Amino acid sequence: MSEATSQSEIPAKDLIGDYFLDLWCHTSKTLALKPEPGPESELDDDDEELPSALDTLNSSGGFSVVGPDKLSLLYPNVNLHGHDVGVVQANRHAPLKRLLYYFEIYVKNAGAKGQIAIGFTTSAFKVRRQPGWEANSCGYHGDDGLLYRGHGKGETFGPTYTTGDTVGGGINYATQEFFFTKNGVLVGSVYKDVKGSVFPTVAVHSQNEEVTVNFGQDPFVFDLKAYEAEQRAKQQVKIDNISIPQDASYGIVRSYLQHYGYEETLKLLDIAGKSTVPPISLVSENGVIEEDNMYALNQRRALRQLIKSGKIDETFSTLRKCYPQIIEDDTSAICFLLHCQKFIELVRDGKLEEAVLYGRSEFDKFKKSSAYDDLVKDCAALLAYDQPSKSSVGYLLGESQRDLVADAVNAIILSTNPNVKDASLCMHSSLERLIRQVTACFLEKRSLNGDQGEAFRLSRILKSGKKG
Amino acid sequence: MSLFWIVIRELAEIQAMATSKKVITRVDWEKKLNDVKVRKEDMNKLVMNFLVTEGYVEAAEKFRLESGTEPDIDLATITDRMAVKKAVQSGNVEDAIEKVNDLNPEILDTNPQLFFHLQQQRMIELIRNGKVEAALEFAQEELAPRGEENQGFLEELERTVALLAFEDVTNCPVGELLDISQRLKTASEVNAAILTSQSHEKDPKLPSLLKMLIWVQNQLDEKASYPRIIDLSTAALEDPAV
Repeated sequence: MSEATSQSEIPAKDLIGDYFLDLWCHTSKTLALKPEPGPESELDDDDEELPSALDTLNSSGGFSVVGPDKLSLLYPNVNLHGHDVGVVQANRHAPLKRLLYYFEIYVKNAGAKGQIAIGFTTSAFKVRRQPGWEANSCGYHGDDGLLYRGHGKGETFGPTYTTGDTVGGGINYATQEFFFTKNGVLVGSVYKDVKGSVFPTVAVHSQNEEVTVNFGQDPFVFDLKAYEAEQRAKQQVKIDNISIPQDASYGIVRSYLQHYGYEETLKLLDIAGKSTVPPISLVSENGVIEEDNMYALNQRRALRQLIKSGKIDETFSTLRKCYPQIIEDDTSAICFLLHCQKFIELVRDGKLEEAVLYGRSEFDKFKKSSAYDDLVKDCAALLAYDQPSKSSVGYLLGESQRDLVADAVNAIILSTNPNVKDASLCMHSSLERLIRQVTACFLEKRSLNGDQGEAFRLSRILKSGKKG
Repeated sequence: MSLFWIVIRELAEIQAMATSKKVITRVDWEKKLNDVKVRKEDMNKLVMNFLVTEGYVEAAEKFRLESGTEPDIDLATITDRMAVKKAVQSGNVEDAIEKVNDLNPEILDTNPQLFFHLQQQRMIELIRNGKVEAALEFAQEELAPRGEENQGFLEELERTVALLAFEDVTNCPVGELLDISQRLKTASEVNAAILTSQSHEKDPKLPSLLKMLIWVQNQLDEKASYPRIIDLSTAALEDPAV
């Protein structure tokens, strides 16, 4: 097919080299945005602006008054009609790309009739009606404790609420439910039949009714964290019940060690695998992949060790001896990576003058693209700082940069195997392919679900189950 | 692209439209996959977590050196844990109990079910070795008092004692108790209890990641047709069925 032919015209080693350069650019850009990555910080496209205040423009003027803090709502007059509801939406719609959204109101004064409501409405909502009375809205009402969904007749739901009570409204995107709480206790949840994004909404409807809204600026009365953990656990039970081949994980770990050339670990794992009771079947069902994975294992391990210990000159000479074709083009991406690493190692050793000379003699030939330029700038910037490891380009001195170069060399050697037809198999271990697939599936699932719900985060899995 | 492929693709799209599924071609899907950046450190952590939790202590130690990944538990504790596990697996239950108590006496104190299962395993081993009298004595002195406290224990005890009633134990209804799998079950229970006592998860994270993959693919199948991974061991993408 046409795609396949066009790909095979680019030599595998260039594809691979460019891939790792791209990875480096990605790291460089992410760190430029967040120079000091804390353990929590991660490249996150899901940052959405949250509702933070009541909307004073699109509220039913005349019937209710939003306080100057934009977080309180008062009904000063006597109500005359059913349409004289004082409804106010939040300034932004509830964020979508997460598991849960939640906000609370505190009833300061239930006024003459206690006709207070909390709920969710769409941007098209008529702000003269109680949330729940109109189509595409949902509301939990204080005077009768009923839940209204799309029409004027409520359904039995929970207790009434009045002066001194704290009531919360939330959305669970995984189960597609609205849920409500009273004084920190879950009242119940209902199917979310409203499509599209919804606004947290509050209504007051009789004289002197007054509520304040907590969009998360203050701690919630309801233990949202515990609720979230509970909801996650529910979903986890479904996932845990799926069965997978018993030694699938073992096989993936082995293949990972082979792929990256962690030869010594592999040996010890195999020895241990043979002595377990019952022995884990070491015969892979797919012998070809196993064989390709073992290709040049010993040399790949040796080169990784050289790069990890900063010996770039030795790396070059080993490559020249064993795989001259990899570095014959001195302007290739892989040579660029290695030259940059050499420069970085010189800076690490405090040989700044030597680094300058090395950079001048080697970097000039890489003027192919702006990507090269930016990365050279990152390297050069190391010279500008008294303590380069604490600067914005300090990541270059980290172990992960060495690992990146070692991974690139490793992948390119794998691609010199004459049996390999698909370069992408050299770039990614099966573990990485699995993680990419999970992540892409979660993103696609969310985008087909109106962008609702959270993305897959490997870091969350890694963090889960740790105490403290 | 040949006419044949164009026709096939169009057919696939028509079929998908009928079921209102979104069709994602391999090329488009690969673009989405390429947008996913996986950090090497995170993959290393997953592998380390597997080695540590499954008790591959030598491999874990070596992996620390080769990959620079720090284990999430003191590796010395794995050696102790594996010694306990091995003792149960090879039938030395008394030895295993002693080792667990050396490690942390609270493990058995706070876990009566585990302690009962270990004692039950001890009795099974006595029966296996033909020590009928010792087995009976052990049942009366150690197991029966616990059976009185707990109906579930009592049933288990009766099942175990039943082993003595049959001449050909391998073919009797409770013969599975003598199976190697019973030892493995007890071993894995004690392994999990030790891990929990060390504030460590009892299962590695990698299998749940694999389960999650299968789960999310099943979920997405309802709405889209796209290249899937079916064989976990090769992680190869398979084109959507036409």
